Amino acid sequence: MPPAPTDRSTRLAELLARTALSDQAAYAELYRLTASHLYAVALRILREPAAAEDVLQEAFVSVWHHAGSYSTAKAKPQTWLTSIVRNRCLDMLRRREPDTVTMTRDEDETEMDFEMPGPTAVELLLAGAEANSVRECVDQLDGSQKQAIALAFYQGLSHAELSRHLRQPLGTVKSWVRRGLERLKACLEGAGFTR
Amino acid sequence: MNLSRPDRAQRLDALAAAYALGTLLGRIRRRLDRVAQTDPTVAAALRGWEWRLAALTEGIPGVTPPLHVWEGIRKRLGLTGEDESSRGGRTQSWWSSLSVWRGLALAGFALAFALGLLLLAPTTERPFESVVVVLAGPDAKPALVATAERGSRFLTVKAVAAEVPPGRALELWMLPDGRAPVSIGLVPATGIERLVLRERVGVALQNIPALAVSVEPPGGSPTGAPTGPVVYTGRVERIY
Repeated sequence: MPPAPTDRSTRLAELLARTALSDQAAYAELYRLTASHLYAVALRILREPAAAEDVLQEAFVSVWHHAGSYSTAKAKPQTWLTSIVRNRCLDMLRRREPDTVTMTRDEDETEMDFEMPGPTAVELLLAGAEANSVRECVDQLDGSQKQAIALAFYQGLSHAELSRHLRQPLGTVKSWVRRGLERLKACLEGAGFTR
Repeated sequence: MNLSRPDRAQRLDALAAAYALGTLLGRIRRRLDRVAQTDPTVAAALRGWEWRLAALTEGIPGVTPPLHVWEGIRKRLGLTGEDESSRGGRTQSWWSSLSVWRGLALAGFALAFALGLLLLAPTTERPFESVVVVLAGPDAKPALVATAERGSRFLTVKAVAAEVPPGRALELWMLPDGRAPVSIGLVPATGIERLVLRERVGVALQNIPALAVSVEPPGGSPTGAPTGPVVYTGRVERIY
């Protein structure tokens, strides 16, 4: 059984603190405890093992240099690490695919991306919500809001790609995303969800 | 992006949300990044959304990265200490080296174990004639195909290219929406087998959006819930 979340957070925070002091053993253990989750996050967005490996590597190199800044981040360690990885993934995704290209990306290729077996983005959204006891907040989103947010979040789809995938006008998907996020935030804050 | 307008806070919040979600692109994304470096309000808005959403990634099942990633990190940083990654290696389960699980993030490792599936097509009340489920791993190549007729209690499962780790069995599960997986039975590694459902297919699979196959001890899961990794999944396609 994995340790309880708070034990784990405490442990990771400790490892980050020691990493900031250039403790190699702590850093190695940090990697051992978090790499599989972070790699999975990167794979999900980038869909290419080689790219996900690059991001993981860059992220950990950055963690080695910036572990000291964690103490001020006021986030759970895993969340802090996940943000680093996600940002790098999104940067890579957008670099790979400049703004204008997202509008003209080959339709077939895009469709193929959605044939991924396994849990859909919405399933992951719900699983993530469950893991954080914020399921109620995700549940209260409309199906379309849920789907648009999940696809953007877990698969890195842009508004233009969402629009094509969901076969809805751009303005419509934008508003699904925006309203969904607003509702999510209001609910999370109401539920006392903290960082 | 005009951050001096009176509705600044609201606009900033919307931008920060789009940033964290990843839908904010190009110049505006880079600009927000830059502004955040000097403006603590903007930075706090970005971090707030990143954290709010990053918490949702906890539902993603982990995938062990290849060992060379850690080697590369150590090399780049010039770390000289003991090779700590071997500790990671020792904690890996026996199955993690099998190629079949490579890239399982894509397939979704534990799929429905966290909770039931919600597929977007609303469950239809319309009677269907038969169902087809193509169960595939991360490479999307069909491993097993399950078919059934509405009025029958048999589910026919054909192994197309299923891989079973030595000394293990494959178990097939229904993944009901919002509830724990329900076992259907063991599936063959080769050939065709007919599994008996508790009810007729039309009833048993009426509200089941997907099936999954997990690796279990011989004889099946001892607990009634999947205990091993999910290796194949597939949607229940209804044919009308």
